[in-house]
Amino acid sequence: MTRFCSTLLHSRAGLAGFVLLAVFVAGAALAPWLHLPDPTAIGLRTRLSPPDWIGFHPLGTDPLGRDVLSRLAFGGRTTLAVALTAVVLGAVLGTAIGIIAGFLGGGIDRVLMRVVDIQLAFPLMMLALLVVAVLGPSIGNVIVVLAVTSWNRYARIIRAQVLSLREREFVLSARAIGASSPWIMVHHILPNVATPALVVATLELARIIVMIAALSFLGLGVQPPDPDWGQMLAEGRLYISSAWWVVTFPGLAIVLTVLGVNLFGDWLRDYLDPKTRSNR
Amino acid sequence: MPGYFARPARLLKTLLLGTALIHTPALARTVTIALPGDINTLDPDQTNSIGTDLSVLSNLYPALVLRAPDGALVPALATEWHAVDARTWDFTLTPGARFIDGEPIDAGTVQWNVARVLNRSKVTPVASWYAQITDVIALSPTHLRIVTSTPYPALPAQLSMLFLLPPKWSRTHNPAHEASSGGPYIVDQIVPGDHVSMHANPDYFGPKPAFDRAVYRIIPESNTAIYALEAGEVDYIARLPTDQIARINRQGTAIAGAVPSIRSVFIKFNTEKPPFNNRMFRQALNYAIDHRAITDALFDGQALPSACQVLTPDYVGYTPDLAGYPYDPDRARDLIRRSGVDLSRPFEFDIPRGSYLQGEEVGLAVQQMFRAVGVRTTIHLIDFGQYIARYRKAHDLAPLSVLGQAWVTLDADGLLKLFRTGNPYSYWSNPDFDAALDAAAGTIDPARRQSAYATATKIMCAEAPVAFLYIEPATYAYSRRLALRPRGDTWIRAFDMRPAK
Repeated sequence: MTRFCSTLLHSRAGLAGFVLLAVFVAGAALAPWLHLPDPTAIGLRTRLSPPDWIGFHPLGTDPLGRDVLSRLAFGGRTTLAVALTAVVLGAVLGTAIGIIAGFLGGGIDRVLMRVVDIQLAFPLMMLALLVVAVLGPSIGNVIVVLAVTSWNRYARIIRAQVLSLREREFVLSARAIGASSPWIMVHHILPNVATPALVVATLELARIIVMIAALSFLGLGVQPPDPDWGQMLAEGRLYISSAWWVVTFPGLAIVLTVLGVNLFGDWLRDYLDPKTRSNR
Repeated sequence: MPGYFARPARLLKTLLLGTALIHTPALARTVTIALPGDINTLDPDQTNSIGTDLSVLSNLYPALVLRAPDGALVPALATEWHAVDARTWDFTLTPGARFIDGEPIDAGTVQWNVARVLNRSKVTPVASWYAQITDVIALSPTHLRIVTSTPYPALPAQLSMLFLLPPKWSRTHNPAHEASSGGPYIVDQIVPGDHVSMHANPDYFGPKPAFDRAVYRIIPESNTAIYALEAGEVDYIARLPTDQIARINRQGTAIAGAVPSIRSVFIKFNTEKPPFNNRMFRQALNYAIDHRAITDALFDGQALPSACQVLTPDYVGYTPDLAGYPYDPDRARDLIRRSGVDLSRPFEFDIPRGSYLQGEEVGLAVQQMFRAVGVRTTIHLIDFGQYIARYRKAHDLAPLSVLGQAWVTLDADGLLKLFRTGNPYSYWSNPDFDAALDAAAGTIDPARRQSAYATATKIMCAEAPVAFLYIEPATYAYSRRLALRPRGDTWIRAFDMRPAK
């Protein structure tokens, strides 16, 4: 932990990413305790009030008079919770499939990898739109769609790692003393692929946040009146020339969160990589 | 494969033909109009979208009569018309009118076009508009008689929607993808999803349009349209959010405003689903709505609250001074309590996306007003196509939804029929209301019709099959180089516009 902190403090980009991410995660996590106005409380008479930095609506109000700051915080809650759940689901699914395909090889491997190929041939957004349109818009469906569209990246990378791991001495010796395949997969392979899986997951998180925003923008994600960053963009789009604050702040939130995730993810990859670790 | 190339090839042919016909006078005056949606078909019998398809086509194909910007019916191909009796109408047509391919435009053309709309083999979406026509008789090339099955006082108004295709040309061409002309303009170029350009028809039988050239540019996004107007790229835009009106006027490059449209927006109750069969509950929800907050705040004072009816003052049969439901949340709560409706579960509330000006905002505001009296709802933003599928095909409308309806003949008959028992759009049944409509439909005497519609409207107000909201504002903005009269019925016609002096 000490080494983690000291290397992070020495990397400007990594630290910046970590701080950005921490701010948004903390804002989202603590939203209910920040004494913000109700994010769904409509005040038609105060619609589209400009930002009032020291007043009741620091970031202004949206076309229905709802507080933009409050919607940003509560919207971040939904966006980040959905993104994290989808990433964890995708990572677990993808890692499991990658280990099975790589370790067992043969027919199972060929079938699973062809499924990956088929899915990679599909435009992801198209698939997401299709599934949400058929199943109906809801948070649960969005999570499932995003998990289903992201597992193949893990599967590819993990499988490649497993292919070299399964020829290593510790695996061969485990097999020689009679360990079963499932036992080896769990006790020898999984700990060794956890690091690459974590790195892919961090970078995948950024992509998934953008996907969630896009789906919500199209009205396929979180349903109003519950706030969400993409939905805030969609609602403010009509007013971009007269009320800049309605779209600017959720737009900035998406950009900064994704930037933070990417910077932190890059640093994490270097940090966890044994080849670059010795340099520091 | 040949089928794949057939359409572009034919389109190209039309374009080349069109280009050859262009006569370019020095300093041709052009009007550029932003169209708020794409053109779906060029066949006037296959569309009912006035704001897009029919507006463009009205420049190309002649009609018997036209609705002028001030709302009056004015002569076009028909110079004069009158009712011979309650079910028979006579029209006198302009002699010598011709399509650009030389075909005459006469009584026979009208006969052929009505038959085309009403044909049984290929059902057209607008067939129901003309379903009451039983006979079209060409007494002479310039004398036309139309007989209807029941008294139909709105027939001339309805015929302002009938655009005449050239019969002979239509046999060898597909009117859905190609355009001929017999109207004020002739098409030069059609680029799907982008623009339609046209030039004035020198042989048009009617008054020459003020602009030599007209271009319709398809710009669905209202911000893009506003920027295009401010940059001088387009001269006219429609459907902008009301908060832009003051801003555009302040800048001074263009003139912006709003007029009441002919469309009423309301919350449609599915009275076939409990508890919306409960009249007291429906009334309570009407008391829960703060109309002023919607019209004054959400629409910046540019919308008018509905007067407890779906008709607007532009309609024949409108009942003035009908007392509606004042905003009274306490009374709403009291009525809900007395109605005994179970409020433990939220009701589904559909909002068709992008269909009505600021419609999503209205839906969310109404949701909050209902919540304030203890009625919880779950909103679903759905595509308009999906909404119509639920409404029409599946007959499974959500208990609550945002809906706007209008009837272009501006006659109570058409609009109120949408609420009659058995009409697929109705979702409501009231024998007294039906009887009042029948009484009105049995006569063409204006006074008797008016009193019958007053009865029907009063019943509808008291029974509250909808929560009445407001008359949608028709917003517009146009460049200072243009002179026009803004209209509420969404027609955007190049030949109505002239250069400012």
